[in-house]
Amino acid sequence: MSNREALLRALREQALDIRRNTWRALHAAGSGHMGGSLSAADLLAALYFHHLNLRPEEPDWPERDRFVLSKGHANTALGAVLAQAGFVDDGFIDTFYAYESRFGMHPDIKVPGVEMCTGALGHGLSVGLGMALGSRLQGKDWRTVVMLGDGELQEGSNWEAAMAAAHLAPLRLTAILDYNKVQQSGHVAEMLGLEPLADKWRAFGWSVRECDGHDMEAIVDALDALPAAPDKPSLLIAHTVKGKGASFAEDTYLWHNNLVGDEVYEKAIAELGEPA
Amino acid sequence: MNAPKQGSGTEPAWVKAAANQSRLAFGLAVTELGRRDERVVAVGADTLDLIGLRGFIEHAPARVIDVGIAEQNAMGVAAGLATTGLRPFVCGYAPFITARSMEQIRNEVAYADQRVVIGAAASGVSLAVSGGTHHALEDLALMRSLPNMTVVVPADSHEAWHATLATDDIDGPAYIRLGGRVPEPPVTPVDAPFGLGKATCLAEGSDVAVIACGALVAPAVDAAKELAEQGIGARVLNMSTIKPLDEEAILAAAEETRGIVTAEEHHLTGGLGGAVAELLAVKRPTPMRMVGMPDEFAVVGPTNRIRARYGMSARHIVDACLDLLG
Ligand SMILES: [Mg+2]
Repeated sequence: MSNREALLRALREQALDIRRNTWRALHAAGSGHMGGSLSAADLLAALYFHHLNLRPEEPDWPERDRFVLSKGHANTALGAVLAQAGFVDDGFIDTFYAYESRFGMHPDIKVPGVEMCTGALGHGLSVGLGMALGSRLQGKDWRTVVMLGDGELQEGSNWEAAMAAAHLAPLRLTAILDYNKVQQSGHVAEMLGLEPLADKWRAFGWSVRECDGHDMEAIVDALDALPAAPDKPSLLIAHTVKGKGASFAEDTYLWHNNLVGDEVYEKAIAELGEPA
Repeated sequence: MNAPKQGSGTEPAWVKAAANQSRLAFGLAVTELGRRDERVVAVGADTLDLIGLRGFIEHAPARVIDVGIAEQNAMGVAAGLATTGLRPFVCGYAPFITARSMEQIRNEVAYADQRVVIGAAASGVSLAVSGGTHHALEDLALMRSLPNMTVVVPADSHEAWHATLATDDIDGPAYIRLGGRVPEPPVTPVDAPFGLGKATCLAEGSDVAVIACGALVAPAVDAAKELAEQGIGARVLNMSTIKPLDEEAILAAAEETRGIVTAEEHHLTGGLGGAVAELLAVKRPTPMRMVGMPDEFAVVGPTNRIRARYGMSARHIVDACLDLLG
């Protein structure tokens, strides 16, 4: 097996573990946001175990790359990947929603590896822009990656940030859109459609690429090709499936956030197959 | 009280440049901090001249970032900059930089406890001719309700300079409320020592205490003079920090006088008067009167006429003191 094949295989395993640990956290809490966590799992695996330059043993390492989960309701997946990467103990996953836990519904900057309190939608790209400017002002090489949700692109503040990022370029700034096509109350296209989305971002001055957000090879290729243009911020539109990996939860707003009892948990875990 | 020093040949250059406008003093102080410390960054929202940052641009253009008319983005960018170890000062119009970006201030600045200093110009009814869309009479209520936030209301350009420099010692977020283009008569000495969280006594008295901030400090001093002519001793406290509140000074005033009158250019709900009342209701119930903007939107007009019409003048402070003393 080539090094690249080994990498892809390892990343796919990490992604499966993110899904398993997401369900584990949701089961511990009894409910939560599964849809947008499961759609982001492959992207998060590729970011944390391939793309981002991080030191889990030194979470505040000044030279680290910055990652902001703007779609903060996918915090179960973030908690999972932070545990898998070693920023927090494995037991952190079981503290989801627990009294005085730092693992609530949305990311808390006090958790090692979390760069900002997010979850109020439409905020993350501005914060990432500030981080990217901070990197440039201090003559640093580190990069900033912001993961956006599709529903949150309905918030106007994203477009303020998008416009400013292109104007203030060049910056080491990448946005990754987890484009799962579903939001809390229905399909995005029916609630408030975003298309033609790539054209909108290009018109705002961004370099745009698209990929299948569940094809690990395509994700890695896209990340490796960053920045997509030297003088523009990059947007990677990752086409994903809400609730990916759980047949009953895929592509439906009903599993944006839902209850997770024993039966749901066991079914979801079984569908993910045996761990490698 | 000490009379403010005016026109002395030895006064520092910033005094003249600030031209008795707290917003310009803030910009000059940010520029001064920027000269001392490479981590200082100014973030604007089409507000470079509003705040007087041209000197900073000349000194370090890369460290002055104006994101255009987009307050939400300005606040998020500032928080992001702060996480990287830089020291952002966000400069905007008080009505917009607070209410428009309130959620960014709450989450990324206050909740995330980032060292972001917000300079809010054109507060109160300083843009009175602009109408209610451009008045900021609720900003103190908004900012004061946020954990971690320090809230400062300088009384004049001198205090704005010192208060801005003093934010260098704060680790968390701060809000500095500034005036508009209407000159603010100096009421504090150029070289007055400034302490965050410390009220200063501008007049001694033991009949009544007037606790004022910002644009109502000068009228409070005038009111005390008028009361003195009637044989009434009014203590005047310049409460330039609304949060954390100088509880000691307020409790002492409550104990040593017959009652307290608060005065501010802000709605009577949630500002300085509210803060003082919240403290006294619990720790030392005391007769109070509150001078400020009633629960309505102001008509258009020159700032001083609007202040007078809605009860924010020396005469109204005198009347409130006399009413309180019966
Ligand atoms: Mg979605």
